Amino acid sequence: MSTTHRRSRLRPTLGAIAASALVCGVLASCSGGDGVDIDESDGGSSDGIAVAIGGEPDQLDPHKTSSYFSFQVLENVYDTLVEPDENLEMQPALAKSWTQSKDQLTWTFTLRDGVTFHDGSDFTAEDVVYSFNRITRNDLPNAYRFAAVKEVTAVDPHTVRIDVKAPTPNLLSSIGGFKGVAIVDKANVESGDITTKPVGTGPYALTDFTSGDHIDLEANEDYWGGAPKIPSIRYRFIAEGATAIAALKAGEIAWTDSIPPQQVESLSEGDDVNVGVVPSNDYWYLALNEKRKPFDDVRVRQAIAYAIDRDDIAQVTSYGNAEVNQLAIPKDSAWYTEYDTYSLDQEKARDLLDEAGVEDLEMELMVSSDYPETVDAAQVIADSLSEVGIDLKIRSLDFGTWLDEQSKGNFDMLYMGWLGNIDPDDFYYSQHHTDGADNAQGYSNPKVDRLLDSARTETDEDKRQQLYDEAATTIADEASYIYLYNPSVIQAYSPDLSGYTVRSDRAIRWRDASMD
Amino acid sequence: MSAPEDTHPSATASAAGNRSRLVRMAQHPVTRFILLRGVLHTAVVLLGVIIVTFGLMLLVPGDPVRIALGTRYSPEAYEALREASGLDQPVLTQLLSYIGNALTGDLGVSFRSGEPVTGLLLERLPATASLAFAGLVVGLLIAIPAGIWSALREGRIADAIIRVTSQAGVSIPDFWMGILLITLFSSTLGWLPSSGYVPLSEDPLEWARRLILPAVTVGMVSGSIMTRYVRSAVIEALASGWVRTATSKGLPRPQVLNRHVLRNAVVPVVTIVGIQMATLLGGLVVVEVVFAWPGLGRLTYEAVAARDYPLIQGAVLLMGALFLLINLLVDILYAVVDPRIGRR
Repeated sequence: MSTTHRRSRLRPTLGAIAASALVCGVLASCSGGDGVDIDESDGGSSDGIAVAIGGEPDQLDPHKTSSYFSFQVLENVYDTLVEPDENLEMQPALAKSWTQSKDQLTWTFTLRDGVTFHDGSDFTAEDVVYSFNRITRNDLPNAYRFAAVKEVTAVDPHTVRIDVKAPTPNLLSSIGGFKGVAIVDKANVESGDITTKPVGTGPYALTDFTSGDHIDLEANEDYWGGAPKIPSIRYRFIAEGATAIAALKAGEIAWTDSIPPQQVESLSEGDDVNVGVVPSNDYWYLALNEKRKPFDDVRVRQAIAYAIDRDDIAQVTSYGNAEVNQLAIPKDSAWYTEYDTYSLDQEKARDLLDEAGVEDLEMELMVSSDYPETVDAAQVIADSLSEVGIDLKIRSLDFGTWLDEQSKGNFDMLYMGWLGNIDPDDFYYSQHHTDGADNAQGYSNPKVDRLLDSARTETDEDKRQQLYDEAATTIADEASYIYLYNPSVIQAYSPDLSGYTVRSDRAIRWRDASMD
Repeated sequence: MSAPEDTHPSATASAAGNRSRLVRMAQHPVTRFILLRGVLHTAVVLLGVIIVTFGLMLLVPGDPVRIALGTRYSPEAYEALREASGLDQPVLTQLLSYIGNALTGDLGVSFRSGEPVTGLLLERLPATASLAFAGLVVGLLIAIPAGIWSALREGRIADAIIRVTSQAGVSIPDFWMGILLITLFSSTLGWLPSSGYVPLSEDPLEWARRLILPAVTVGMVSGSIMTRYVRSAVIEALASGWVRTATSKGLPRPQVLNRHVLRNAVVPVVTIVGIQMATLLGGLVVVEVVFAWPGLGRLTYEAVAARDYPLIQGAVLLMGALFLLINLLVDILYAVVDPRIGRR
């Protein structure tokens, strides 16, 4: 899966539309603003807030949508059994506690009492069974998260049992990492209303979705975590960053993430707006098609990894709002591993190409015009590679076609990002295991396969960490992916907004926020 | 059937006279023929638009079904969607059924949201109509006085200033103009809302307030273009024989201008307004994105990015139909403002 990460630009870019893009990992909803413009008659109230996101959700069924815009809203409408806190540790949510059997093949979750859906119906174990089965039996986008799950059973109205095929240490992040595995209401699904009028158990209920203009949420007074302080939230869809910033400065909205990265610095200088910049768990990478010569030769891949200048690439794409990183996982994560093999060394790159017997290499880099920063960075990469005698042609496609070409294997090298990663199993396995669903580059190393297989079921945390360290290091050494950087999460909000946290997983939660 | 009244362009007709002239004109076989020809022409072009849009969709790279499904899907899901969207049928069958359905107002179902395309388009029409109309009004409010003034002061300093300004207005990209206006009037002065739309039926005052900035953005660009046409139409009328005659007969200048110059300048200006509507519809896409305006332009832009084929086809078809309709109206208006039409 690739990112729906986007930034608006001063020219209207198609990056604004992440509807076709796929999100992995944890995502969330958003927003804040003075409710002065909200009309009483359409669900707003004078002390609610308005917020601006970069585009319109394609639909609001949490199990089916892959648009980040949808999750920015749904984060506040739905709950999962467990949920990540600020440090991405899993905490109780709809499940108040859980136990594992001795053989680690059975997890038992005790659910909260007295939780109701926004339509007033009771939340029970049946809803959990229905939701998880819906995802797996219909092979919906998040079905792969349940690969280890054998069966989900309602023991009694407040107890759910999950049987797994093998010990699954990351089960909690699979069933609670983000709202794509939310607990939905069966009646809402069956009536078909879930795409536009979703009914959840979350801190806010959706009251209005006017296509092209706004989505209104209203505080759920009966929320199990306590009634939210901000009574209503209107999400507006503003793709143009300059417009969103003007609206924020004018007090029409209280929060936005529709911010061109080149404006972060000037925005931060004033005291009329707070800017939050937090390193994200997203990563951007290059991958070479190992089914094509000469990229099957590890030395050629390493040469490219030595020849590129990551600092320049990060500067061009993010104007300094990114952390250069040669592995996937950012510094702040518990899974971080230090690694800096590939400092810029074009001498070494040329030597490696000589050893591999490669001369006058002509190749293509596939980027997507929906992520205009990749098109810009491609030129920097081409420039670096020309220094070591590689002639790089840039092929820019819309994201849909890009995905299509990736899955057909029609590329030499591609450039893309992954979003909202929590547990290493979420992405290392699918991208670098021989049988991985997203291993488009065709990397296959029995040693890495073994490491990833055993890390999947290793329940001792330290051991598991070691396995992933070794796997990640090997993956980078052999340049299955050439990792580039972790972009920052950039959000701007009103100084009057308090209790709101900019999170590294891009989840936008309003339940603890308030307006002074 | 009587022959149409022999109306000299300078004749002043009362409102009643105008009405009876219209009725008689409409009954005139030549006028009827012109109208019929216009309607037929519109229908043929519209069919062409359908076929071209349909063809374009076939030519773009990428499989729409795969794109709609994302990266993880089962072969069954793929086949099911292909079948549901009729993409498994031969191309000609697809085209014919599309045309057939389109005639009954059924433009298929959006890939992205699963909603009927017709409904999605109609939902967005009021916002776009508001903006197009207001933009045109602003454009005419700029173009008519500026064009006339410029023509009357031809070759003098005022003329030069207006010509330079209109050149600048044409050259400034509309999204840039929009951002400048938002920055000035919303975040700096705080006079007007930065973006968004409120339906007229909900709150007329708020509808008007939110319409000002986008309408001025649209109007400045089209107004700059129209200024030049108005100017040259007036200059042409000033140079005509009957103006010289009227002036030499000793008719006062204001009367000459009102009766002879401006009335004759209206005809080319009406034509330009029709042509401008096309530019305007195209420009709306960018302006709607900048102002977060829930109109057809932004819907089309999002549909293109999401490869929502049925929605793109529907939007292009509707835009094409609107454009043709406007041109047909212009042709009819022509007959009204230029009564000689019935005598050709």
